[in-house]
Amino acid sequence: MATTSQHLLLSPAELAYLHSTLSLSPPLRPDGRTATQFRPLTAETGILPGTNGSARVCFADGTEAVVGVKAEVEKTTRVGILNEDESSRQRRRKQARSHGAAKPTAITEEEDAEDGEAEAASFSERRGENDWLELSVEIPGYRDDDSGTVFLATMLSEALLADGELTKKLWINRRFHWKLYLDIILISPPLSYPLPLLSLTSHLALLATRLPRLKSEGDEDPMFDDDWAASQFIYARSGSATTSTSTSRPPITLLVMAVGENVIFDPSKEELAVADCTLAVSVGEADVETDDAVAAKPGARALRLLSVRTIDPPSRLTAPGVPNTVNAVAWGQGATTANETGLRAAETGDVEGVWKAPRGGSKITLISTMVEKILEKGGVADDVLEGLDGVELA
Amino acid sequence: MTSLKRSVNTDPFASNHSSKVYVRSTKSGKVQKIVREVYLRQDIPCSSRLCSRCLASAPRSAAGIVSPFVLSDKPAGTKAYPQGHYLVPDTNVLLNAMDLFEQGSAFFDVIILQTVLEELRNRSLPLYNRLIGLTKSQEKRFYVFFNEFRLETYVNRAADESINDRNDRAVRHAVKWYNDHLGQTKSADIPVTVMLSDDRGNLDKAKQEKVPASRLRDYVSGLKDAERLLDMIAESQERIASNEKKPQFLYPEYFSLSKMMTGVKSGMLHQGMFNVSPYNYLEGSIKVPTFAKPLLVLGRDNINRSVDGDVVVVEVLPQDQWKEPSTKIIEEDAITKNENADNDEDAADVVTEKERRALQEQVKKTQGLTTEGRPQPTAKVVGVIKRNWRQYVGHVDPSSVSQTARQGRKQESVFLIPMDKKIPKIRIRTRQVGELLGKRILVTIDSWDRETRHPVGHFVRSLGELETKAAETEALLLEYDVQYRPFPKTVLDCLPQEGHDWKVPASTDDPGWKDREDLRGLLICSIDPIGCQDIDDALHAKPLPNGNYEVGVHIADVSHFVKPANAMDTEASIRGTTVYLVDKRIDMLPMLLGTDLCSLKPYVERYAFSVLWELSPSADIVNVRFTKSVIKSREAFSYEQAQLRIDDASQQDDLTSGMRTLLMLSKKLKQKRMDAGALSLSSPEVKVQMESETSDPIDVKTKELLDTNSLVEEFMLLANISVARKIYDAFPQTAILRRHGAPPKTNFDELANQLKVKRGLELRFDSSKALADSLDACADGSEPFFNTLVRIMATRCMMSAEYFCAGTQSYPEFRHYGLASEIYTHFTSPIRRYADLVAHRQLAAAIDYEAMHPAVRARGRLEAVCKNINVRHRNAQLAGRASVAYYVGQSLKGRVAEEDAFVMRIFSNGFVVLVPRFGIEGLIRLRDLAEPEPESVFDAENYTLRLTGSYDGVVELFQKVRVRIRDVKDEATGKRGAKMELVRAG
Repeated sequence: MATTSQHLLLSPAELAYLHSTLSLSPPLRPDGRTATQFRPLTAETGILPGTNGSARVCFADGTEAVVGVKAEVEKTTRVGILNEDESSRQRRRKQARSHGAAKPTAITEEEDAEDGEAEAASFSERRGENDWLELSVEIPGYRDDDSGTVFLATMLSEALLADGELTKKLWINRRFHWKLYLDIILISPPLSYPLPLLSLTSHLALLATRLPRLKSEGDEDPMFDDDWAASQFIYARSGSATTSTSTSRPPITLLVMAVGENVIFDPSKEELAVADCTLAVSVGEADVETDDAVAAKPGARALRLLSVRTIDPPSRLTAPGVPNTVNAVAWGQGATTANETGLRAAETGDVEGVWKAPRGGSKITLISTMVEKILEKGGVADDVLEGLDGVELA
Repeated sequence: MTSLKRSVNTDPFASNHSSKVYVRSTKSGKVQKIVREVYLRQDIPCSSRLCSRCLASAPRSAAGIVSPFVLSDKPAGTKAYPQGHYLVPDTNVLLNAMDLFEQGSAFFDVIILQTVLEELRNRSLPLYNRLIGLTKSQEKRFYVFFNEFRLETYVNRAADESINDRNDRAVRHAVKWYNDHLGQTKSADIPVTVMLSDDRGNLDKAKQEKVPASRLRDYVSGLKDAERLLDMIAESQERIASNEKKPQFLYPEYFSLSKMMTGVKSGMLHQGMFNVSPYNYLEGSIKVPTFAKPLLVLGRDNINRSVDGDVVVVEVLPQDQWKEPSTKIIEEDAITKNENADNDEDAADVVTEKERRALQEQVKKTQGLTTEGRPQPTAKVVGVIKRNWRQYVGHVDPSSVSQTARQGRKQESVFLIPMDKKIPKIRIRTRQVGELLGKRILVTIDSWDRETRHPVGHFVRSLGELETKAAETEALLLEYDVQYRPFPKTVLDCLPQEGHDWKVPASTDDPGWKDREDLRGLLICSIDPIGCQDIDDALHAKPLPNGNYEVGVHIADVSHFVKPANAMDTEASIRGTTVYLVDKRIDMLPMLLGTDLCSLKPYVERYAFSVLWELSPSADIVNVRFTKSVIKSREAFSYEQAQLRIDDASQQDDLTSGMRTLLMLSKKLKQKRMDAGALSLSSPEVKVQMESETSDPIDVKTKELLDTNSLVEEFMLLANISVARKIYDAFPQTAILRRHGAPPKTNFDELANQLKVKRGLELRFDSSKALADSLDACADGSEPFFNTLVRIMATRCMMSAEYFCAGTQSYPEFRHYGLASEIYTHFTSPIRRYADLVAHRQLAAAIDYEAMHPAVRARGRLEAVCKNINVRHRNAQLAGRASVAYYVGQSLKGRVAEEDAFVMRIFSNGFVVLVPRFGIEGLIRLRDLAEPEPESVFDAENYTLRLTGSYDGVVELFQKVRVRIRDVKDEATGKRGAKMELVRAG
């Protein structure tokens, strides 16, 4: 994280001011947003005519990302033994479960049900492999093997692959599949941590991605309709092509931070500098037909938690001050001097108006509140997906 | 959270800028989305001579010249459009009735829209090429209007609109634009632009949009000569209109293309060219790369609507359906049996993949054992990759014509019997049966659907009465796809302006003399058949002081007159070769060049390309050089004259002694060639003698071979080999060479077996030398022709020689099997063969005479040229033979001849004989021998047919028989042919 957002030159006093205003109830954000409000953004799709799907998203702060999706037909090679393959899938699922475990509510049950279904699906032929998606991230000014860039790419692909839905859609027949190349480019300097921007842009690009219509049947060498207008969206949608909304959609990853008891969404660079805890939360939409609970409440989204990752905010990277008494480097320096006690207090205790980096972990209840805020009905994820629905797909 | 969509209008060029998006699937299996940007312009002219606005804005060439406008200012009118009209056909009309547009009597001033042209190219490449040909013709006034690039006529595809609908709309839009556009001219009679379509939806929409449109049939009905023209509209579209009832399927459905491709890739299915047996129309064979021997395809169901020459995909049938190749002669004319349309193909689908794979193994095993008589693997056609349908010549089957139709004007379906026996009967609908009976007519196949037993076609034109010389000759030329139209003006424009007065420039400073050697002093002569006008080659020989000989072969310098890539060169490359028929020659190059300027005529100076050797007295090459030259031939001999002169001891002049030297050397060369294993092969060759006045054939003679024939041949071979080496050295990638592949061993299996069984002779075929020697041994003291017969049969086992581009084969593959030469090309007949012309250009570049033209250097282009001339060469040979066969038949007209013949092939119900005197083969059926048909026992192992009952006798292979040849006209088919009868066996 340290590398992917530029260092801020804020004085301890400024940081302390930020921290305290964000800790107020309701929090007072530097740009006047409410805690759950996103920065306004401009989005469009279909900007790269040569791709299968593309999108561009511009945040109001000037950060801008472009995502292009290209698809290629690839021969499915059957490597290894089926069991081995199965075990890796289980490992992946376990991982997903351990993330979800933070919130032992209806969601995990839902996920269990989904797991059972995935189990059943694994018996049918129609399933995908994770390497059918290749994702690359480019951040200007950073090497592509920079740890921050790699971490971003991993988080984004983890979210997309978490539910196994996307790769399933890439299955053509038992011998062939589509290979999807997702190229994510941030075209502005990284003014704030770009994860949500890149995620939203990839989301839109995937929504707009279309694949040529298959004409051949069964396990034949695939042949496709040469009419692009007949091509089909990966994420199928109901209604006519232009006005409809998708019946399923790719997952999105949101950035959420906590300051004190406050949960703040879409943090800006300055806000991140004083965060106590930062999470990247990936949320997917469950398949509507398979979920009875949602079918009962039409119109509502069935959201599923796919993964949660903690991200070290810059505040965590500042080493805290250590009193000389306990500091081995300052060994033997006047530990008993009277005026040193004040100094010690300054180093260990809180002093009004002076920024002090947070120490220690976050409470589990805080984490679960953050996740809940995203997933609740009418919550942030709902809100974001609603907003993205408004983007016309080219 | 807000989201914005960029407004569409931000692009300042939006109005003249559009794009086309489609999906392209490459051969390697890649699937790409392709976006092509289209920049629309406003200066594409309407090309009507009425329009002055377009003339002002039309784009100009670099020289500032506007290409002349095509469409007439006074186009012809019809009843419906008295003020004159331009035609705009849509794609379907062109697909169904291209023949109509090629008519000379109607269909002028036609606008071909780019939309239509592109659609046509996707649907049918041959039709597209014909249309392109039409647009180039001056008199038809066809204009290609690039409506997709003109701003006003470009049409964007609407949401949910199919491509076809969009294209139809584009056509209507363009027609509307034409009418509006021409309406603005100040002409008194503004012609109407009329859309021709057969699509009802399109016509209805045109009516709504008030676009002038007409159904093709309605339009044609309004023309003069409508009856004849109506017959040329393809059959298929009418049936759709009339036949709504559920059709009964006679043939199995084809696999989908993707299923076939998957199968072929995985080796479960096989792709190859379908060939019909000349003796049995229900038996086809297909040569596939996987197996050494062709697979058999038996019966109508298995042949499944494939026609000779189609590229098809087959599936091997289970072993219990394997059959022996038929030993019966089955001719379509004779068979009237109605087969059961129901078939149980389902059984084959039950076979699992494993079983099928096992089947493939089995095929290989069995094929190893197969000799005649054992069951051979059979296959069924599951799909057609590429149709090889062309136009077919034939005649109407009189028995299929009802009595009423002979007089009436009613439309009726009749069968056409093609000249080529391998092509099935074609059903055509016509209103003019009465006129077509007894005529040679040209038809095309339109379709062959599952519910029709025979392919459906339509009438194109009539060539004339059966058996008239003009009709039969034209039929022949059409059947072998020989380009026989006169040379167009663009070609004639490439000829030297002096015409027949052209002379080698007197001054040696003339650019024509540059780098040319003056060989006028040499005693050069030419030796050719009697009456030869296009003299390609001339020779000379003279002793050198060191005891060696200088020998020169001088070839007409055609490349001096035919420059690469001009119209004449293009035409020649398409024609590929001169075609010699008995009474006619179809030239590759215009007469002026072929018979005068290039021809190495005696007593005049001519440009030549010379190959000069220094040969030792034992005919070894001491050195060789190549040069462009100027020569003056001293005499043009015929083979006979040359022979007489050489034999006449009183002739002691230098020219004659030169010829004697040549003869002496040629014999040594020949011996060397024979020692190296060159084959002397044989095909029955005869010469038809014509009565000089009427050019009616009066007699047939087998060709005589003199020493002088071989003299010329040897030196031509030597020249060709020397040139091949030189151009290969200079251009290892692009040299044009000729190879003759070693025939696959299996080709000789049957002949070897036949010789062994019948004569106890052994045919060895492991090398050309072994074959040559064993062929020499195949002699029968009492019957000199037996050896020739074996040679003829051996020749038929060979591969055919082919031209190729050096880069496409590895050096060992260059070998010419028949000539036993490592490398070979054709150099010596540039007047009549295009390959030689290319070799000339390459040799000229190799000796630094001139730079290599890009067209002669590009390998891809040369490969295409090779492919074409290979086909043309073969067709020319076939056409020549067919012409001889026809004239042999004509010379027998009204006569009965009794001749010796030899049995070449035996079937269970007949046999094939070769008559050496006439060089013709004939089929003798048992049922013709006696009435009732004699009973027969066919011994396939011993190639014997034992006849009992009404006719006693034994017929066996290689047997000499006496036959009576009569010219008979078959009443049922209207075909005239030499009919043979057995006089006595043995």
